[in-house]
Amino acid sequence: MLQHLIVLPVVLPLLVGASLLLSRSSSPVLRRTISLVAQAVMVIIAIALVAQAGDGTIRYYALGDWQPPFGIVLVLDRLSASMVLLSSVLAFFACLYSTAGIDETGSNFHGLFLLQLMGINGAFLTGDLFNLFVFFEVLLIASYALLLHGGSKARTLSALHYVVLNLLGSAFFLIALGILYGVTGTLNMADMAVIVTTLDPGRAGLMEAGGLLLLVVFGLKAAMVPLYFWLPRAYAAASAPVAALFAIMTKVGIYSILRVYSLIFTDNAGTLADLGRDWLWWAGLATLVVSMIGVLSARDLRTLVAYLVMISVGTLLTALGMNSVEADSALLFYLIHSTLITGGLFLLVDVIAGQRGKAGARIVRARPLLQAGLLGGLFLIGTAAAVGLPPFSGAIGKVLILTSASPEQQIWLWPLLLLAGLCSMIACSRAGSSIFWRTGKSEPSGDRIGLARGIATGGLLSAALALVVLAGPLSNWTRATAEQLSNPAPYLEALLGKDASPETAPPLKGDEE
Amino acid sequence: MTLLLIVLLPLLGALVPLMARNLPRGRLAWLTAVAPAIALGIAVFHLGDVFAGQTPQFHLPWISELGLDLALRFDGLSALFVLLILGIGLLIILYSRYYLSGEDSLARLYSFLMLFMTAMIGIVMADNLLLMWVFWELTSLTSFLLIGYWYQLSEARKGARMALTVTGAGGLALLAGILVIGHIVGSYQFDDVLAAADQIRSSELYPVVLVLVLLGAFTKSAQFPFQFWLPHAMSAPTPVSAFLHSATMVKAGVFLLARMHPILSGTDLWFYIVSFTGLATLLYGAWFALMKQDLKGVLAFSTISHLGLITLLFGFNSQMAAVAGLLHIINHATFKASLFMAAGIVDHECGTRDIRKLNGLYRYMPHTTILAMVASASMAGVPLLNGFLSKEMFFAESLDAQLLGGLSWLIPALATLGGILSVAYSLRFIHDVFFNGEPKDLPKTPHEPPRYMKLPIEILVLICLLVGILPSLVIKDLLVSASASVLAGPVPEFSLAIWHGFNVPLMMSGIALAGGVGVYALRHHLYSFQRQFRARNALLVFEANIQRLVNLAERSMDSFENGSLQRYMLWLLLTALLFVGIGLLAVPQLSGEFEQQPFDAMLLTGAVITGLAGLGTAITHRKRIVSLLMLSVVGLMTSLAFARFAAPDLALTQLAVEVVTMILLMLALFFLPQRTPKESSARRIMRDVLLASAFGVVIASLNFAILTRPVESISDFFMANAVSGGGGHNVVNVILVDFRGFDTLGEITVLGIAGLAIFKLLNRLRLFMPSSDLDGRSWSPDRHPMILATVSQTLLPLALLVSVYIFLRGHNEPGGGFIAGLVTAVAIILLYIARGVDWTQRWLRFPYQPVAAAGVLIAGLTGAGSWMFGYPFLTSSFGHFTIPVIGEIELATALLFDLGVYLTVVGATLMILANLGKLTTPHRPTKEKS
Amino acid sequence: MLDIALWISIALFAASLMLNVFRLAIGPDLPDRILAVDTMYVNSIALIVLFGIQLNSKAYFEAALLIAMLGFVSTVAVCKYLLRGDIIE
Repeated sequence: MLQHLIVLPVVLPLLVGASLLLSRSSSPVLRRTISLVAQAVMVIIAIALVAQAGDGTIRYYALGDWQPPFGIVLVLDRLSASMVLLSSVLAFFACLYSTAGIDETGSNFHGLFLLQLMGINGAFLTGDLFNLFVFFEVLLIASYALLLHGGSKARTLSALHYVVLNLLGSAFFLIALGILYGVTGTLNMADMAVIVTTLDPGRAGLMEAGGLLLLVVFGLKAAMVPLYFWLPRAYAAASAPVAALFAIMTKVGIYSILRVYSLIFTDNAGTLADLGRDWLWWAGLATLVVSMIGVLSARDLRTLVAYLVMISVGTLLTALGMNSVEADSALLFYLIHSTLITGGLFLLVDVIAGQRGKAGARIVRARPLLQAGLLGGLFLIGTAAAVGLPPFSGAIGKVLILTSASPEQQIWLWPLLLLAGLCSMIACSRAGSSIFWRTGKSEPSGDRIGLARGIATGGLLSAALALVVLAGPLSNWTRATAEQLSNPAPYLEALLGKDASPETAPPLKGDEE
Repeated sequence: MTLLLIVLLPLLGALVPLMARNLPRGRLAWLTAVAPAIALGIAVFHLGDVFAGQTPQFHLPWISELGLDLALRFDGLSALFVLLILGIGLLIILYSRYYLSGEDSLARLYSFLMLFMTAMIGIVMADNLLLMWVFWELTSLTSFLLIGYWYQLSEARKGARMALTVTGAGGLALLAGILVIGHIVGSYQFDDVLAAADQIRSSELYPVVLVLVLLGAFTKSAQFPFQFWLPHAMSAPTPVSAFLHSATMVKAGVFLLARMHPILSGTDLWFYIVSFTGLATLLYGAWFALMKQDLKGVLAFSTISHLGLITLLFGFNSQMAAVAGLLHIINHATFKASLFMAAGIVDHECGTRDIRKLNGLYRYMPHTTILAMVASASMAGVPLLNGFLSKEMFFAESLDAQLLGGLSWLIPALATLGGILSVAYSLRFIHDVFFNGEPKDLPKTPHEPPRYMKLPIEILVLICLLVGILPSLVIKDLLVSASASVLAGPVPEFSLAIWHGFNVPLMMSGIALAGGVGVYALRHHLYSFQRQFRARNALLVFEANIQRLVNLAERSMDSFENGSLQRYMLWLLLTALLFVGIGLLAVPQLSGEFEQQPFDAMLLTGAVITGLAGLGTAITHRKRIVSLLMLSVVGLMTSLAFARFAAPDLALTQLAVEVVTMILLMLALFFLPQRTPKESSARRIMRDVLLASAFGVVIASLNFAILTRPVESISDFFMANAVSGGGGHNVVNVILVDFRGFDTLGEITVLGIAGLAIFKLLNRLRLFMPSSDLDGRSWSPDRHPMILATVSQTLLPLALLVSVYIFLRGHNEPGGGFIAGLVTAVAIILLYIARGVDWTQRWLRFPYQPVAAAGVLIAGLTGAGSWMFGYPFLTSSFGHFTIPVIGEIELATALLFDLGVYLTVVGATLMILANLGKLTTPHRPTKEKS
Repeated sequence: MLDIALWISIALFAASLMLNVFRLAIGPDLPDRILAVDTMYVNSIALIVLFGIQLNSKAYFEAALLIAMLGFVSTVAVCKYLLRGDIIE
């Protein structure tokens, strides 16, 4: 069974999810149990995958036993293993949170949740560009369904924006795939990486068009300015566990950029080397600017957290734009931190909203909270981590990114990133003081956080400290991951065999007539 | 290791009050004090080493990637501060126990205090600049909690936020400064940085470093022009103020000056920035301390003033000035802490802090009065008290400052002015409050506080006296070792005597004392002078500015994210256009190596029709049903094109999808108005036409460029291996179910989820139903026309037969699970159309969701089945079997997989269409709660 | 001989497709347009059969059969829409 471990993060949620969808009337307890057990098993599998990837070798799994470059492959390296572990952990806690009742406010929650997880994991593991498209579709449509979960006018409206923009993105993905396939004749990313080194100028130009269009698609997923418009409302409207799981959705975009561009558009790619990195850099800075204005403008805690997600996206995009091993390592650290923390914050905000009566998550004066001390403490830790204040995880991630910028980049990045931190600090302190301090006189009421929701929220937010304590080994791991990414030769060799290195690639396609 | 304990013990101590919160207050206080007391013990234990000139250090690697290690040092400077922080901290713990009323949570205060103490100790003991920054920001965060302790008060909330914002922002600047230092030096370890001090000072980045680091120090130490947050931090409980504004928080800023002194000082830039800031702060604080009517306000501004004095001393770039600065840090901490505590007692016993009401308290609390008098005299710099020593040294140093050339005399003059004001407000603190007539309508009748509430003050006042009278004995060792670390070298010889003979500094002291008394006597004239200026409450100004910023942000976000999907789409389209355009510009020649096909009238006709129909779709879009008909022509022509280029199964699939989409759209269109009014302006239409054309041009060019270039693709492999490897002659189907079966598995999952998503979307949806058609005719009364019903019923079995047929042969000839599923679904939909939901559900009882789910499950399990034979997921196998009557057939696992595809397509399609159709019937979905 | 016949018939059907489009465009009424689209389906079936003859593949005939059925269903749906607005009730 061990050799099939790589495919399990896709197959397990698929099978369990589909089984849960077989009947709409089974007992909630049964569905919860099955779903939670499956998620827990997923975490264990993901840990095993990380352990496997830890030795630095790149493994692949040929689906249908069709060897690359012809069949679809799933590839396990440090990056994909870490991402799968991250998504599994996040999903486990989000799912645990939902079992306190949100899962039953609509139909088929757990089935859809697992299928969404399948889509995310598939996107992280696949080594095939078309297959990546398929998983993008899976996670798009599943997230659309989950976004509607529980139903409300705001959800339906934001879901419309979300799905329309992303469907257009999918169309672009297909066009981009058409271009790339038309130029290279392959869909396997490794194969494409080899072929891209042999292109004549005409084909290279087309490849550039395709590659940049792909950047639009990934940028849309990652919520890069000016393609981010779907994010704030969708995240603010989604039910808590869904919003928490969505914390990794933008990271799917970031991951895809990292994977595709570090593999295909490398230094060997001639004129296509480092394609799009400049754009990423400037778009990242623009995202920082827009999101720091956004975070100040938030009138609602959920929107506030949504813009905190955007700030993390901007930070990550600038790190992608820097295109160095240090930056990649820093961005991975920051990515792990921001995913867990913003996920936890979405859950926390839901608990807070539940204790504030009609005011909900709006940042206005309302009744005192039932568990003000506990929730206030968690809120402080969570927002401080998200803002990037020490001694929490965000500070480490942010400093890592700040230091990995080159001197010319520092002039832009430092003021903006520090200013973004200041803006979010102002916004979070205002929100926190309104909600926890400026309370009215009425008696506290509402739902206590309870065990399941407490473990889920606390579990995710504990990352704020855990990532700091473990920062040493973790940053070593991200460093090793970044180094693995910076040298694609072993990847190509593992998938395509020894002779696959760019020097011995086949001659120019155009000459073969 | 014991060094680590000094930091960790208070941290653990933060948990103690939380766990012991139900104990009586007295015991709670004692328990809380245990951890810092032990830490203090450890610190004292190390003092011997420090005085002997050693520096105990502790080093634990942490984040090598960042150069951030858990490194602690205990040099003279650290020792001085650790003693102050822990010593005064312990006194504050005792004092708070009496100060806080029963309604306020003592445990919460203690817990925050201990956290804050940890952060402060961390700053002063950090041996790594980044680590110091970590603790630095932690003080901002914990002081936010402390200042906002009485969060019911608006003042406290706003004051806390303002302090956090200002000091937090300064912290960010400090971080930037530290990172630049790290960039220059290549390490954040203090010893490395110290060793590279010359390198830093000569670096072209030095001004940047200096300004950033000083921003951090000045915001924290409330130096002009960042002084405004400090007076408003006074809304904290008095023990907190006593701690924050004597020994800790604000001292972190001057600590930073001291710490960075050997690294950054010694340049003209340092002198100008630091000394001028200090001088301005000194005078500004002193003036307003005299003007304030709030007891704590007086102390707050006097704190600002004294911090300015310390800053000024560090700015002098002279070794003795730095020594004086350190001495004043100690002195200020002791007398200011005791003054704050005395003010707290007054507040606590009288119920007000308004100096205009407080008078003549001597009669009610003589003991407290004496303590306050001593501390106040020390603040004024009266001989025999510690404040006198540092003030003398300050005056002496001000005389030596020469950098201003001909204007150098200004510095001692202004220093004396500061001294005069300082004497005046000290006098005021005593005379106005404790003497000067009778108290005016106090809320409470004052009396002496509990015995132990005064104990901390007594201890501090004793220290003031001891240092003042026997300075060499009490303080010299500590001061020398602290100076050694600040100067990073030999300490100049100095004597801590009270009497240096008649000299200029003594004269300045005399002038200050006499002048102070004079100023105090004339204070009412000064008040009326000050009243001419409009009083500006910094808190309100700050809040208003933040509010303006937030409003601006809200306005700009509301106009940028205006909720218009069209605008969002425009951005997306423009970005895509830009990026693809960039790529196309890089293509030197659009057409590739292929010869172009001969011109063909048929193709031209097809293209013209498709183009016209496409245009028609757009032009007639306001009459939706017409537009839909046009669209269906586009679909039809596309499938004809597939047929023309020898892909019959694609043509079939395209058409089946087309029909399903048509029905879907009609179901949805019914709920929309039949006609849409004309809403778009001409300009907007022009914009959209241009955008669409540009897109068309770009996509067409891309297509042309790619299709005219030959490519060696993996499809050749599929062609070659379809029969041998996949067991099928229909390559398209073999690709779908075998070569790329994993994609298909994903896509049928998408289809199944889409069904569920639409089910969720439709839940509880109630929509408007129009009562007449496009031209205003009312609907026909005949719901289910007889002919249609009969025909469709006959069609169903035939359609099912066909779908089974094309399903089974799919692996070898056009067909397969996908098309078969669509055909089945279309046939069943026809029944819905002809017979209605009621009838159809009576005959077809099965729900569709399980069908779709089972389909996905079958496909998935088929894939997992290959594990049993030791092959990877989705590995297919096939064989030929002979079955009686039917003959030889080929069975492949792919067929099972295809069955899954078939079921999913049927289930999902029906789920989508039937649920949408059911909206107008009593069978509508209602599960979703809203 | 067959080739010429094929080309002539393809050309004629293409022309009729054009005429259908013309009818679809001018209307004047919805039923006219529906009829135009339905006729287009019929003409397309004819074209596909002709392609089948041209390429000598019997797969096209089955495809034509199915297209006939799908065309029927889509016309029925549009007609139902015309009559009742709500096509599934």
